Amino acid sequence: MIGTLTRKSLRARWGRSLFIALSIGMGVAFVSGSFVLADSLRATFDTLFSRLNANIDLEVRSAAAFGGSDAERDPVPAEWLDRLAGIDGVDQVSPVLTRTATLLDERGQPITTGGAPAIGTLWQGEGDISGIVLRSGRPPEGPGEVAIDRSTSRRFDIELGRRLDIATPVGVRAFSVVGIVGLGDADGFAGATLALFDQPTAETVLDSQGAYDAIDMTVVDGADVEEVRRRIEAALDSRLEVITGEQVAEEAAEQIGDFVSAFGTGLSIFAFITAFVVAFIINNIFAITIGQRLRELALLRAIGANARQVRRMIVTEALVLSVTATLLGIAGGLGVARALIALFDAAGAGFPPTGLVLAGRTVIAGVFVGVGITLASVVVPAQRAGRIPPVAAMQPELGFGAISAGRRLVGGGVLTAIGAVAFVLGLFARPGGTLGLVVLGGAGALAVFLGVAGLSSAVVRPVSHALGWPFARLFGVPGQLARENAARQPRRTARTASALMIGVALVCAAAVFTESLRSTFLRILDRSVTADFVITDAGFQGLPPDLAQNISGLPELSAVSPVRGIAAQVNGDVKQFGAVDPRPFDLLADIDMQAGALTDLAAGGVLVHRDPARDLDLVIGDRIDVTYQNGVTGSLQVAGIFGDAALVGNWLISIDTLEAVTTQPQRDFFVIARVADGVDAAAARLALDTALDAFPQAELRSNAEFRQQQEDQINQFLTLITALLATAIQIAVIGIAITLALSVFERTREIGLLRAVGMTRRQLRRAVRWEAVIVSLFGAVVGVVVGSALGTALAGAVPDTVIDGVTFPTGQIPVVLMFAVLAGVTAAWYPARKASKMDILDAIATN
Amino acid sequence: MPSWAAEARQAVKVYGKGDSEVRALDGVSVGFDRGRFSAIMGPSGSGKSTLMHCMAGLDSLTSGSVMLADRELGSLNDRQLTELRRTQVGFIFQAYNLIPTLTARENITLPLSLGGTDGDREWIDLVIDTVGLRNRLTHRPSELSGGQQQRVAVARALASRPAIIFADEPTGNLDSRSGVEVLSFLRRAVDEFGQTIVMVTHDPGAASYADRVVFLGDGRIVDEMSSPTAERVLDRMKRFGD
Repeated sequence: MIGTLTRKSLRARWGRSLFIALSIGMGVAFVSGSFVLADSLRATFDTLFSRLNANIDLEVRSAAAFGGSDAERDPVPAEWLDRLAGIDGVDQVSPVLTRTATLLDERGQPITTGGAPAIGTLWQGEGDISGIVLRSGRPPEGPGEVAIDRSTSRRFDIELGRRLDIATPVGVRAFSVVGIVGLGDADGFAGATLALFDQPTAETVLDSQGAYDAIDMTVVDGADVEEVRRRIEAALDSRLEVITGEQVAEEAAEQIGDFVSAFGTGLSIFAFITAFVVAFIINNIFAITIGQRLRELALLRAIGANARQVRRMIVTEALVLSVTATLLGIAGGLGVARALIALFDAAGAGFPPTGLVLAGRTVIAGVFVGVGITLASVVVPAQRAGRIPPVAAMQPELGFGAISAGRRLVGGGVLTAIGAVAFVLGLFARPGGTLGLVVLGGAGALAVFLGVAGLSSAVVRPVSHALGWPFARLFGVPGQLARENAARQPRRTARTASALMIGVALVCAAAVFTESLRSTFLRILDRSVTADFVITDAGFQGLPPDLAQNISGLPELSAVSPVRGIAAQVNGDVKQFGAVDPRPFDLLADIDMQAGALTDLAAGGVLVHRDPARDLDLVIGDRIDVTYQNGVTGSLQVAGIFGDAALVGNWLISIDTLEAVTTQPQRDFFVIARVADGVDAAAARLALDTALDAFPQAELRSNAEFRQQQEDQINQFLTLITALLATAIQIAVIGIAITLALSVFERTREIGLLRAVGMTRRQLRRAVRWEAVIVSLFGAVVGVVVGSALGTALAGAVPDTVIDGVTFPTGQIPVVLMFAVLAGVTAAWYPARKASKMDILDAIATN
Repeated sequence: MPSWAAEARQAVKVYGKGDSEVRALDGVSVGFDRGRFSAIMGPSGSGKSTLMHCMAGLDSLTSGSVMLADRELGSLNDRQLTELRRTQVGFIFQAYNLIPTLTARENITLPLSLGGTDGDREWIDLVIDTVGLRNRLTHRPSELSGGQQQRVAVARALASRPAIIFADEPTGNLDSRSGVEVLSFLRRAVDEFGQTIVMVTHDPGAASYADRVVFLGDGRIVDEMSSPTAERVLDRMKRFGD
């Protein structure tokens, strides 16, 4: 019998160890995976850009007054091509000209790339100093020819010799595909579509207007690059600058690096949330399992082991387990990163061949998460186990003296309060900017979760009794047992449920935030937008100004205005200025003018939102000095003060003012239009559709459709957050399953008795299942409460122009509760099976 | 027409295989009369607990058969066995007889509740009064003494008026006064309510409450005794050592 018991207990512990290792491994894999992914992508793009720009020695471009690699620069007049070629030491000169050029399918619809840019660019053919290489066919020559990248060619099945319509800045043109190219090793460029034209064609269809984005150069063999650079610099006028090829590569890599970093940071935030949930589960499992082994440990003490040896034994076991799990987790992280890259590639990202980068930092983070969490979880139970008196081996009833409920309540309350203060302080005061926001907000939220986990154990009994009431009523003895068992060990239930609580709270906070965002957006739309149509571009690359020009002539429309933007410095701070066509815009939107009129903008000047106007003490007639990004300076007279910044931002100028200061090719963010009085909306739409035939990349939406599209985007955001929290929630469900399995193991004798006096296996499974459901519901209910509070704070911290009031997503709460029931049922599967398979006689004989 | 409440025929139970084979029951044939109080005695390892488990539908025989409430246990599946235990069998174990999360009353009616019935209320009231638990009904097991807990177990066994009650060392964990109390209730259940009870014990004093004692040794029936007294049982037990 002893042999059987030992074997059974060992087997139970083996399964348990596997579960613990699995949870740790999942947490570590997610954390290290997000690090590996970001590092790998960054390294890949660094390599790509340095290879693409490897041949470039120098580049001439317009100077920018402020801003780094992403500054919008004026073009370089074409005459510099010859002038630069004439400078001593300059070998090749190559103009850079890149615009939006949307590829169209056979039906004239844009080939959708999931938001990646559609790039049209000038290519001088093989041997040109760009990193573009021909893969098949030949370089394009003449007005009817184009080359495209291999990734696009494969993805959309566009082969050599095919006729391809492309929407260019000067309209839709027909081309024949004569070449397929790659970018260095890569087949494409991160999902973008690439269309390459020879120089004269590019200058025409990409509408160069006698200027280039920049001019790239090589120096003659043996010439000193620095010397040539100085020679060029001396020849340039003050609005141009010359930089080295390395700088070009660095800036390009930096720009994509910023994106990759933001992406990696976002991913790792969710990875650390997952790790935090893992910590809860691991802590719970150790507390329970060491509690279950107390007799064995006391026996060790009785036969002569000292307290330190007992502690060391427990810590060593945990260490071995966690180191193994961490190593597997890091290996798993490489797999996660590889899988994500494959996923993005399948979605059309067209990444260059990516080698995985395992940085030392990643390993440290993985070990910190895996080993750190485990050791932190095992310290307290190990201390307590060490204090077990040897005589306990002979006592029938064993268990930890739990920390008193009072102390737990005070501790939890204080932690919750501190966390809440830190969270609110981080959101509203933001000491140290974004860093303060993330650190204080994040640490505050974690403290709140820990505190609430402590606090909630005090309400487990009443709340789970209330939640269990319907189960006891509906499902007889199994329901009643489930209800009682859920409330049996409040601390265990609270900790188990807390893992789920965290996931639910975060989803809920995101739901409150997005719901508030949506209702604010809809209110603004209702209040301030009187336009009937919104025209946007699928890829966020803007629309050619010709579009607004064309449709403003339609008799079916009474008003058409493009909306553009430009960055400019006011008092040394960079501000975003909106630009509109004042007279029609006045008919299309109501921005709540408080002084002056919108139409006053037609005479020049600037409209200022009341907040910056108050801060800078501006009234109508005052002048502000402005420096635009291209270095042009100006003075704008304040023509009015307005109250609603949601549509156009805090600063508004006219399109005419904007066009007078910049020579950049212009793009409209979007165009809004209104149907003329007495014209049928359907007739106006028909006229618009016809007019937009020349602009296939444009998307026409009615006011209602636009509203729907924006709502869809907000919902997508919520879905994304939920998906990123899915791992944490899955681990929480596993946690419930493990805890319940351990509880079932503890209640072996009780289960044997129930079976002996006539409980069927099915009734037993139900009892376990409903218990899991009650525990899940408990976690979900606390999560909804905490999440609503966090979401309210988040919504409150956002400027009024984005969120002007908190709205609770009441419709989603039943969904969350339904989900909790499902989670409980899922979690109960294994422990319920285990309970119902238990041999009655063994169970009764268990001591 | 069998007069037994439960009967084993040529019951064989073998644990293990080969060299480690143990014949816990080696061809036991025994019947227990309706409305009588029987005791099964024998030294440790004599097979008395195994016999009880097999006759109560908690364990299955290697060969032979058990009839309980006119049904052959070997022909029943797990669900049918469970239902049989719930409706036809009452159990009193040595210890840990009660579900800690349920009150005394809920523990008493547990088999009935599991079957989704309320049972015979008057009968249950009578049982509760007989074992003297009226003022303890809302207490949880942890709030009851050992003797009170066993009385709850007795009441539970009686509550569904089963065809037979199996009691496994019901007084093994009790002080002598509580033990006498519990045995008296069992005796009264037989005398006043006509209940059939089979009790496994190694305590001659407890066995003396029975109408009949069956002695088991090495998996076989070795003797039996009617109207036992503690002295006679003790004498018989002493002979096992020979």
